[in-house]
Amino acid sequence: MANLRRHLSGYSFIAPWLVALVLFIGFPFLAGLYFSFCDYPPLKTPVFIGLDNYAELVGDVKFHHSMGVTLLYASAAIPLGVLLAITLAMLLNARVRGQSLYRVIFYIPHLVPTVVVALLWMWIFNPEYGLLNIVLARLFQAADGWTGIFVSLAAAAERQNFFEWPAALLVIAPVLAAISIGPWVPAGLRARPSLHRFMAFAAIVLVVAGSLALVNAALTYADPFDMRKLHAPGWLTDADTVPSFLPYGPSMALWALILMSLWSVGQMAIIYLAKLQDVPGELYEAADIDGANWAQKTWHITIPMISPVILFNVVMAIIGTFQVFAEPYIMTAGGPEDKTRFVAMFVYDNAFLYQRVGYASAVAWVLFIMIVVLTLLAFRLSQKRVYYAGR
Amino acid sequence: MRGVHFGLAGLILAVILIAVFEYKPALEDFDPVRHAEFKDTWNQRVHIAYWEKWGSFEADGCQAMCDAFNRGQNEIFVHYIRTSEVDRKSMLASIGHDPPDVAGLWNTSVATFADGGALMPLEGLMAKSGLTRDYYIDNYLKMGEFDGHVYALPTAVMTLALFYNKEHFRAKAAELRAAGLDPDRAPRTLDELDRYADVLNVFAADGSPDIMGFLPAEPDWYPYVWGYYFGGKLIDPDTGKITTDDPANIRAYTWAKKYAEKYGREKVLKFRSGFGTFDSPFNAFIEGKVSMEVQGVWFPLFIRRHRPTMEFGVVPFPSADGVPGPRALMEMDVMGIPRGCKHPKEAWQFVEWVQKTGLVILSRLQGKNMAIRKPPPWFYEGHPNLELKVFEDLAVAPESFIVPNSLVGLEYRDEMKRAFDHIWTWPVDREKAAELQGLTGKERQARIEELCREEVAKTLKAIRVEFQAKLDQRLERRHLQPEGDR
Repeated sequence: MANLRRHLSGYSFIAPWLVALVLFIGFPFLAGLYFSFCDYPPLKTPVFIGLDNYAELVGDVKFHHSMGVTLLYASAAIPLGVLLAITLAMLLNARVRGQSLYRVIFYIPHLVPTVVVALLWMWIFNPEYGLLNIVLARLFQAADGWTGIFVSLAAAAERQNFFEWPAALLVIAPVLAAISIGPWVPAGLRARPSLHRFMAFAAIVLVVAGSLALVNAALTYADPFDMRKLHAPGWLTDADTVPSFLPYGPSMALWALILMSLWSVGQMAIIYLAKLQDVPGELYEAADIDGANWAQKTWHITIPMISPVILFNVVMAIIGTFQVFAEPYIMTAGGPEDKTRFVAMFVYDNAFLYQRVGYASAVAWVLFIMIVVLTLLAFRLSQKRVYYAGR
Repeated sequence: MRGVHFGLAGLILAVILIAVFEYKPALEDFDPVRHAEFKDTWNQRVHIAYWEKWGSFEADGCQAMCDAFNRGQNEIFVHYIRTSEVDRKSMLASIGHDPPDVAGLWNTSVATFADGGALMPLEGLMAKSGLTRDYYIDNYLKMGEFDGHVYALPTAVMTLALFYNKEHFRAKAAELRAAGLDPDRAPRTLDELDRYADVLNVFAADGSPDIMGFLPAEPDWYPYVWGYYFGGKLIDPDTGKITTDDPANIRAYTWAKKYAEKYGREKVLKFRSGFGTFDSPFNAFIEGKVSMEVQGVWFPLFIRRHRPTMEFGVVPFPSADGVPGPRALMEMDVMGIPRGCKHPKEAWQFVEWVQKTGLVILSRLQGKNMAIRKPPPWFYEGHPNLELKVFEDLAVAPESFIVPNSLVGLEYRDEMKRAFDHIWTWPVDREKAAELQGLTGKERQARIEELCREEVAKTLKAIRVEFQAKLDQRLERRHLQPEGDR
C-alpha cells in the first residue's frame, strides 16, 4: 500500500508534464502519422489515400531540392560550429585573466532572440551598406595590393595603383615585428614581458594577415571569378554556387546562413569548456614528462576526454539543422531561387500556405526517420572513438 | 505527503475553474480613452471580432471605419483586431472552430477558404440587402467568387500603373530629345519605355548603375504580371487551364530578362540588393535610384509621406505592340464571414454597412479607389490621392485583368516568383559559354537573347506541366471528399 502511495506521489509530480507530453506532442505525433496517409486540406475532412503522399514525394523535385539544401547546410554548419566551439573553449580554458568575462561575452549572442538575430544579420549582410562587405572591401583593398605584386605586376602598374599603403604595411610590419621579438632584442627590453608579449602578438597578427594576403594571391590566380565575387558578395540575394566549379555546392545565400549559424556557437563552447575543466591535470603532467607537444596532447588527451560532449553536441546539431526555419523564413523567404528553402520551410509552406497537411505530414515523417537514422549513425560511428570514463 | 496531494489537486481545480468561468471583457480591458464614448451602451451591444491586416496610416483608416460603424448604432460593437498573416491565422481559427466573426483576407485566398467550406456564401444576404452585381465594378466582385458563389466582398482595392520621376526626366531632357523622346511625358508604348529607360540610366565610372531608368524586378511583388501586358494569361478564364508557357508570356519574360543582361547582370543584381524597404525614404523610387516603377494606388501617399516635394507622374503601364490597352492588373483585399463564427447575423450587418458606407471612409483614408461603380460625391472631396483618376480609369478599362481564383492559385503565384527569380538571375554567359565562344557584338547579343528565350520557354513549360498536374490532382481529390465537404 505504502509502495502504491509512493508511486502515486511520484506520478502526480510528473503528471503535468506527462499530460502535456501526451496531449501536445504524443497526439500530434501520431495524428501526423495518420494524416500522412490522407489527403487533408485542413478545412476539410481527411480522406485516406494510402501511400500516395509518400509516392509523390519520391518524385517531387522541390522536396529533393529542399532536402539537398538542408543537407548542404548541415554538412558545412555542423563541422564548422563544432570546430569553432572547441577552439573557443580551448582558448577559454587557458589560464587567461578575465576568463569569466569572456565566458559571458561568448554566451551573450545565444540569449538574443532568433528574430532579432535574423534582422541584425540582414543589416550585416546588406551588400551596399552592410558591415561585412565594408570590412571585406577594406581587407581586399589591402590584400589586392599584394596580390597585384605577386600575380600581375603589370596590371597593378597599369592601374597606376602600384603602391598601396595597406599592402606596404603588410610587407613591412611583419618584418619589423619579427625583428622586435628575435634573440637580438636587448636584454633590458626582454625584462619587460608585457611589451615583449605585445610585440609577439603584433607579429603573429601581421604574419597571419600576410599569409592571408598570400592565400588571396594564390586563389585569385586559380579562381578569379569567385574571388571577384568575394570582394563584394550579394550574400542573401545571390543564388550562384560558391565555389562556382562545384556543381552542387552551397549558394552564396546559403553560405551567409552558415556563417550566421556560427553566431550562437558560444553556447556550445561553454559546454565544451565545462568538460575541458573536468579533464584531470595528471594526464597532461604525464604527457609533459613523456615529452608530448601541444598538438599531441590535444589529439591524444583533450579530444578523447571531451568526446562524449562532442558526440552530444553533434547529435543536437543534427537535430537542430533539420529544424532550421526562422532565420531563412525571415531573411530570404527561401530565395533566391529556392536556394535557402530548407525542408522545415517546405513542410510549413505545404501545410499552412498550400493547404496540404497530409503531404506535409508525410514529409515531416520522412524527416523524422532521417534524423533518427543519422543520430543512430552518429552513435554507431562514434562507438570506438568516444571515451566514457569508468566504462 | 497528503499536503502535496491537496496542493496538486487544488492546482488542477484552479486551472479547470479558470477555463470554465471565462472572464467577460469589461470596458476597462480595452482602450479606456478610445472606448469611453461607448460606456453607456457597452454591455447591451453584441461584440464582434474583425480580424484585419494593415499598419501605419492604413490601419488608422480601418480603425476609423470601425469607429464610424460603432458610433452609428447601439447594438453591435466591432473590435478591429490587427492581425499579421491574417489568412493563416483565420484558417487555423476555422480549423479550431473558433473563427473571427469577420475575416479580412486577400482575394488570392478566397478559393482555398471557399473550397474548404470556411466561408459563408453571401449572395442570398446580398440580394436581401439590395447589393446587386451592378453596384460593383465587375472584376472586383469576381475576385470574391468561387464556383459560382460570392464568398467575400471587397474592402481595399488596387490597380497597377507606371510611376515616373519627373525630376529625372527633366535632368535628362536634352538627351531624351536627342533620342527622339519627349521629356514632358511618360512612355506610351513598351518600345518607348525601353528607350526612355536607356537614356535615364546613370552609371558610375566602373560601369555599375547609380540610377536605373526601369527595372522589371523592382518591386518584385507582381512577377506574374508581365505576360498580360504582352497579351498572355496565366490561367484561361474559360477553361480554367494553366497557360504559363503561352507564347505571349514567353515574349514577356524574355523582355524582362533583357534588362538584367543588357546592363550587366551581376552589377544590376548588386545594385538592386542595396534598395531600402518599401515604406521608407530609402524606397528605390522615392530615393531616386529607379526612374520608372510599376506600383499600386497606395503609392502616392507613401511617396508624399517620405518625400513631399518629389515630382512624379502616373500613367497606365504601356502594352506591347498590337496588345490593346490601357490595361492593369487588379487585385484586392476582401472581407468574408467564416462559417461557424459566433455572430453571423451581426457580422453581416457590419459587412453590409461597410459595402454601403464604410468603404468610402476606408478608401479615402487609405488613399485608394473604390470597388463600386458610383462612389458618392463626398468620396472625392479632399481625397488625399491626387492621382486617383488614373487608377479609377484603369479599374473600369475593358482590357484590365484579374488572375482568376484557382485551387492552386497561391502556390502558382509563388512559383511564378521563383520562375522570375530564376530567369532574372540565370547566368547565360556561364551556362552557355561554349555556345557564345567566338561571337561578338550584335551577333553575340542576338545569340544571348535566343538562349534566354529558350531558357524562359523551358522554365515556363515546366511550371505549366507541374501546375496543371497539381490542379488536376486537387480537382480529382475533391471527389474523394464526403458530400458535405466538397
